Amino acid sequence: MKNNPYRPIKARIEKVIIETPTIKTLVLRPDETISFLAGQFMQVTVPGMGEAPFTPSSDPKITKTIEFTIMKSGSVTGKLHQMREGEELGLRGPYGKPYPINTFYGKEIYLVGGGVGLAPLRALLFALFHELEYLKKIEVRFGSRTPQDIAYQQALPQWAKKKNLNIRLTVDVGDPEWKGNVGLVTTILQEGDVNVKNAVAIVCGPPIMMKFVTARLLSLGFADEDIYLSMEKNMSCGIGKCFHCNLGKYFCCQDGPVFTWDKIKDIPDPW
Amino acid sequence: MKQYFISGSNFEKLVEKFLESSKVFAPVKYAEKNRLSEIDSHNLSAMNLAGFRTVEPFKSCFFSISESVSDYFGKEKKKAFDKLIILGARGCDLEALEVEDRVFGEGEYQDPFYLERRESSLIIGADCTGCGSSCFCTLVGGEPYPTKKFDLSLAPIDNGFVVEVGSEKGAKLVEANNKWFSAATDSLLNLKEKMREITLKLLEEANHNFRYRIKLDESHHRNLENAVWKTLTKDCVECSSCNFICPSCTCFLLVDQKGGEGGERHKLWDACLKNAYQKVAGGANPRGKLYQRLQNRYQCKFDYSYQRLGRYTCVGCGRCIDGCAGNIDMRKIFGELEKQVPLTAKLV
Repeated sequence: MKNNPYRPIKARIEKVIIETPTIKTLVLRPDETISFLAGQFMQVTVPGMGEAPFTPSSDPKITKTIEFTIMKSGSVTGKLHQMREGEELGLRGPYGKPYPINTFYGKEIYLVGGGVGLAPLRALLFALFHELEYLKKIEVRFGSRTPQDIAYQQALPQWAKKKNLNIRLTVDVGDPEWKGNVGLVTTILQEGDVNVKNAVAIVCGPPIMMKFVTARLLSLGFADEDIYLSMEKNMSCGIGKCFHCNLGKYFCCQDGPVFTWDKIKDIPDPW
Repeated sequence: MKQYFISGSNFEKLVEKFLESSKVFAPVKYAEKNRLSEIDSHNLSAMNLAGFRTVEPFKSCFFSISESVSDYFGKEKKKAFDKLIILGARGCDLEALEVEDRVFGEGEYQDPFYLERRESSLIIGADCTGCGSSCFCTLVGGEPYPTKKFDLSLAPIDNGFVVEVGSEKGAKLVEANNKWFSAATDSLLNLKEKMREITLKLLEEANHNFRYRIKLDESHHRNLENAVWKTLTKDCVECSSCNFICPSCTCFLLVDQKGGEGGERHKLWDACLKNAYQKVAGGANPRGKLYQRLQNRYQCKFDYSYQRLGRYTCVGCGRCIDGCAGNIDMRKIFGELEKQVPLTAKLV
């Protein structure tokens, strides 16, 4: 069948990186090069078992390999966590709309992540690193359940060294060694972190976290259209045909997965 | 467009000719109802183009209930589809066909499995000469006769049909078989219009209890957050027959299994009323309550589709009313929704 949108391309697992007890990063080498833009997602196929949508976590400029940071939470992710280097997966995509990075020029960026929500934000951060000279500053706020659950532990201090980039972490539950903030991620979103009149907030995390972060951002004075939310739903086709991921009149796979709050605020309980 | 006349016996000869090279699906009367059936030389004489829509829509002819869409990494195979002729498609069926054509054919990606089947098909519509108790095409902007998406359209009259040409394909078909077609006389054309008026009257009578003062997209949109949905949908038992029997419901699910080169992917009909429809990994379910799912179906047909496609995707065929295990009648729900909208809304 010509132009078959349901057919995956083959990709070999080149490396498995254990990030936390429940999160792994898979480095894949696809048969064909893949160009994605930060914010777009791909359908990852576990052969003979099924597909699930993931946003790549690697630098979009790298096209020979592609990385996915995946939390174990269902059947497909469970199987992905069992897979080893050299095994094969399938990939379809990229799908969806990317972050409009060039509209961020001259602004401050407020990146707010929760749990494995840091994965798509990492791809965005890599993309933003190429554009640092055009940005005022980047403030990263990231929450995890426990210190053990913080992904990219080695990379975080490296990123923090970059000019105009600050990172603050928090955990829901600390441990004796944890010296940082304890509390939900909303507790480290404070007035004065960014100039809300000239900033965009980009949020990715579990639905309940995004709900409360959005409320907090609004109370800080962010405009609806300056809050970017990753609304990933149950998806099947990824190409706007199967209707599974509908969010009001939108399809997350085609119109999203990233929406600004003004687009979805009138949808009853969009989370 | 020029109109023709073909006699009943000549039309039967034409269908016999179709059968030489195509699969033909048409209404066949069975237990007082028009059923969509594959036609062969044995049941040809039982074909019945009078009356109204068939019990089952013909969507599965193009949007397969289940089909293999990929064997992953193997060489992409060319799929060959039968030449298909749909006979007796009604006004509502063709509105639904427009919806399906738009869903599968428009946008950044297209569904080649649907489109190739469509390309190798010929659609012959037919006027309704009756109306079922659940028919309500006129309430959603439709007509009980074909107005679009047909190659030829037939209006049953006396001992034959007035034939309208709707496409190049249809014109060629008439040309190639011109010995069976004659120009339609004015009196036949008048008769056709009269028949249409009679059917429209029947529909009006059948729906005389259902008159709405505001448009359906509006009554749905204004009730987006209304708790009334909980009571409106209390008779739903999640059987999903409304999804499956709806000519314009196009939800599907991709399911993988072992086989092929690495694995096989199948595309199966899915139903938005099913509990697992929007469930995500980890178990969260944005539409975990049955009333939310049935409400979404209504919103999808009248509110979201109106915003997305500029039209309702409900075509008023009433099949969901006939098929509902809980006896839910869409038309009554429209009325209840309207009651929820303040009277002042009339002025908007």
